[in-house]
Amino acid sequence: MAALSDRRRINAPSGGTSAPVFSKALKEPGYLEELRPQRIRAPKELRKIFLQTSIIPSASGSAYLEIPNAPSSHPATLIPPTSSLKIAASVQGPKPLPRSAPFSPTLLLSTTVKFAPFATRHRRGYIRDAAERDLGVHLETALRGVIIGERWPKSGVEIVVTVLEGDEGAWWGQEGGSNGSGWGLLNVLAGCITAAGSAIIDAGIDCVDMVSGGVAAFVQDPSADGRLLVLDPSPAEHRDIIAACAVGYLHSRDEVTEVWLRGDAGLEAADSLIEGAAQAAEGSFSVMKEVFIENLEKNGNAQGLEGAGGKRKHADVEMAG
Amino acid sequence: MAPSQPAHVNLSPAELSFLRSSLSQTPPIRLDNTKGPRDFRSMIAEYDVLPSTNGSARIALEDGTEALVGVKAEVEKSQWRPNVEGRHTLSVAVGVDVDMADDDGQEGEENKGKGQNGWIEISVEIPGFREDDALPVFLASMLTESLLASGELKDRLYINQRFHWKLGIDVLLLSPPLSYPLALLSMTTHLALLTAHLPALKSEKDEDPLFDDDWDAAVPLYPKHDAQGGTNVDKPPIIVLAIAVGSNIIFDPCKEELAVADAVLAVGCAPSNASSTGARIVSIRTIDPPAHLTPPAVPNSMNSATGGVAPASTADALTQRELLSATGVWTPPRGGMKRSLISQVTSMVVGKGGVAEEVIAALQAIEVG
Repeated sequence: MAALSDRRRINAPSGGTSAPVFSKALKEPGYLEELRPQRIRAPKELRKIFLQTSIIPSASGSAYLEIPNAPSSHPATLIPPTSSLKIAASVQGPKPLPRSAPFSPTLLLSTTVKFAPFATRHRRGYIRDAAERDLGVHLETALRGVIIGERWPKSGVEIVVTVLEGDEGAWWGQEGGSNGSGWGLLNVLAGCITAAGSAIIDAGIDCVDMVSGGVAAFVQDPSADGRLLVLDPSPAEHRDIIAACAVGYLHSRDEVTEVWLRGDAGLEAADSLIEGAAQAAEGSFSVMKEVFIENLEKNGNAQGLEGAGGKRKHADVEMAG
Repeated sequence: MAPSQPAHVNLSPAELSFLRSSLSQTPPIRLDNTKGPRDFRSMIAEYDVLPSTNGSARIALEDGTEALVGVKAEVEKSQWRPNVEGRHTLSVAVGVDVDMADDDGQEGEENKGKGQNGWIEISVEIPGFREDDALPVFLASMLTESLLASGELKDRLYINQRFHWKLGIDVLLLSPPLSYPLALLSMTTHLALLTAHLPALKSEKDEDPLFDDDWDAAVPLYPKHDAQGGTNVDKPPIIVLAIAVGSNIIFDPCKEELAVADAVLAVGCAPSNASSTGARIVSIRTIDPPAHLTPPAVPNSMNSATGGVAPASTADALTQRELLSATGVWTPPRGGMKRSLISQVTSMVVGKGGVAEEVIAALQAIEVG
């Protein structure tokens, strides 16, 4: 009956449609693979990282992290090349818990990771799905070890991370790549750790160290006919990722607060993956350090020192550009 | 803002400090003092407990935690994927002779790489938690990613171009989560998958699937022997929980031991295909140690009720507290895990004669015996 009442519009075919498949892709099995972006970085070279703190004036601390995508190497194709990563993190608090909440001897940390609906190829709803909740737990684990929670009894802090653009799990052109194996989530987690770690420092919460995130992966390497360890893998650039690992790394203590390793790794491989991911995290740590030194120089040393004592007064933030 | 683990134990700082110092001795003295650091709690296990599932298992631990797992398989229509079909039509068009005899021998090869991650669905239900709470979601994703890591299971779910098996694994914790239930759930899932059977397929190739209605003819989801009759076959993964207290590593912690751990690590491992090593790692995750949420102790020197002097200011209190670290007064652990400690844990789990090998052999024995 719906069809009768809805004759004024041009309706979609009742049987549904499927996306066009170009005959060239079917006739030449290797054609699609040719279009796949290539990794031109060295195996141990990271992508460029952009990090800025104090971007949200109303939050006690905030940070924005961006890892831009590589330019397309094949202008002939409609398939987008590698994806980029854009993450905004904000810290609300520490603030007293509501009266109704039970006593807590330590700072209660609640982390929320949410993908924007437009962040990935497949639209994410407004309600957090399982992957987002899982990322939230990972992020909480990474941060809980860094914050000295016993100094804030009866209080809570909320860390809200919004992923504006997330790394895809696989290249769009890859068959079955869309429902992918979720390798991109590891990159997102590492980005979330770096961004949230910077936001916490920006908020002036007491920490034992700075925490930064990094990813390493073992990929199938046809040239070396074996597997190759790459740092900061972009999942679109690799057809077969064997195993990958994301860590939250404390630079000066040389410890990891969070390890998320998945895939078919052997014993030595697991060690070298964690090692590699820590190296990648060193890279993001150096960016964090530069950013905070820059901030200190900009705001004047006196205010910066006062901020470290936890009693920072918010100067008016000038929003440039 | 509720604490993530309501099952968090209520121990006083003095009790925590006592437990921690006994666990960090060499050799560690565990809560159950008959156990060594690598000993698991005893358990009761049975399989095929649910008649209407393809495979099921129940495991009860001695502390009263009990888990039930049912594995159900349904035939589902596959989405049309151009490239899978494309490869097929291509070989016909070019006139490549498809060797039928070769096809029969290598059924596994034919399915290779055709499975999809979405064909396996795990749900975890824990009393007292909503299914979208952090704990069940975390447990389900850890179980899923260990199961998917090898890729062999999902390939076995492929029937033909149009149909596949959809595997639903429902994990039910029957008791409240007294200790961190990850290891228990994974062992129960392992046993259920190991004993799961799928009806034997009678139809061929791309026909609509028709199955043998004789349950005795059903094929195991995890075959006992490979095509050559060897025993190097894929087995479902298990997850082992380990804690680090000081320099000691303790496996299968009970909830009080978990409460004083410096770091908690879950290692997912599957039996290795090559017989040289014990097992291979399929996933590692750190778990936030509940000790981070424990209250710090007040030392006598800072307590005016016990003859000490209460600190005059907050800054003073903070300084005095920082100087306490070596005195044995309970302070929640800070920081993370050293990388050498992680590699020590993983080698204890998957090395030859490691914990993983023992657990897998024990679960295998349940089915055989």
